[in-house]
Amino acid sequence: MIQPQTYLNVADNSGARKLMCIRIIGASNRRYAHIGDVIVAVIKEAIPNTPLERSEVIRAVIVRTCKELKRNNGTIIRYDDNAAVVIDQEGNPKGTRVFGAIPRELRQLNFTKIVSLAPEVL
Amino acid sequence: MASSTVLNVAGALLSGDFRLPSLSSQRLRKSSSSTSMFRLSNGDLSAPYTCSWRLSRDKALTNSKSFAVGREAEDGFLSNVSEDSDEMFDDLFNKYGKVVYKSDDLKSPTAEVDDDAESLAFAVEMAKVASEVKAGDIKVLFVKPLVYWTRFFIIATAFSRPQIDAIGSRMRDMAEKKYGKVANGDVKPNAWTLLDFGDVVIHLFLPPQRTFYNLEDFYGNAMSVPLPFEDEAPPRS
Repeated sequence: MIQPQTYLNVADNSGARKLMCIRIIGASNRRYAHIGDVIVAVIKEAIPNTPLERSEVIRAVIVRTCKELKRNNGTIIRYDDNAAVVIDQEGNPKGTRVFGAIPRELRQLNFTKIVSLAPEVL
Repeated sequence: MASSTVLNVAGALLSGDFRLPSLSSQRLRKSSSSTSMFRLSNGDLSAPYTCSWRLSRDKALTNSKSFAVGREAEDGFLSNVSEDSDEMFDDLFNKYGKVVYKSDDLKSPTAEVDDDAESLAFAVEMAKVASEVKAGDIKVLFVKPLVYWTRFFIIATAFSRPQIDAIGSRMRDMAEKKYGKVANGDVKPNAWTLLDFGDVVIHLFLPPQRTFYNLEDFYGNAMSVPLPFEDEAPPRS
């Protein structure tokens, strides 16, 4: 359940460290975003000497949430943190590798690029 | 001994009634034959079949235990166990029928190999299509041992967006016409265009993106599939 003002970790090597959600892409007045949703975010913390800088506005895909993700088979997945992967306007990831475990639902939502860069898919 | 008792009983009944004896004698004969087969004493004629059999087997077991020594004893015990389990299975068989239920998601190894072969044929065909449209540095990787969500990766470089478009549309057409598969993934040509056919995932890169993402290194442990058209002499440049 990500909403504007929520801080997220960055799960890739794009150079950003912390994001703050400022808008959820989708419906006009959408309240919450979940795994696989695209958000507009602002970089709150970045690694020095990388292409991305602090206070830059970017798009990101949510890959992990503290809110449980339920599957039809009864499985429930809950992560320790809220995390997102930075993407560009075309949907290509800005980083070259994704860190940590990500859920397979991303593939169904056409984020197979992120899935193919991830080390572990749940 | 058993037979004699049967005769006696039958005789006694014969004197009383005329119709019943034939039936009762038959029944008794049946029970007597079963008891004699399993060497039971003639005392209980009314005992049911299974009960008498168990009694006799217990006897046999105690005998074997008392006489056999060391390994023989173990063998005897084992043989009895197997006999017992056979009977048990027979009982289960009679009770539940011939169908053995199994979990659905388990595939036989042969089916898996067949599936792999099918995907491999599809992947090689797609790679061939890419080479026909002059994609560069085509690689087919068998990634099934590394990731569970797909079987083959095809990584190819195209040198412009129109070329990526051409390769992508030809692959889509071929897959739909010949194999009836529809691709997920990017629709518009992109710097990294991805076509997801389920078992086969195709990555088409522009040269800078290919070096940037460096997917071959990430999947460095995957087995590379040799392609038939690689051996042919390259066309004049």
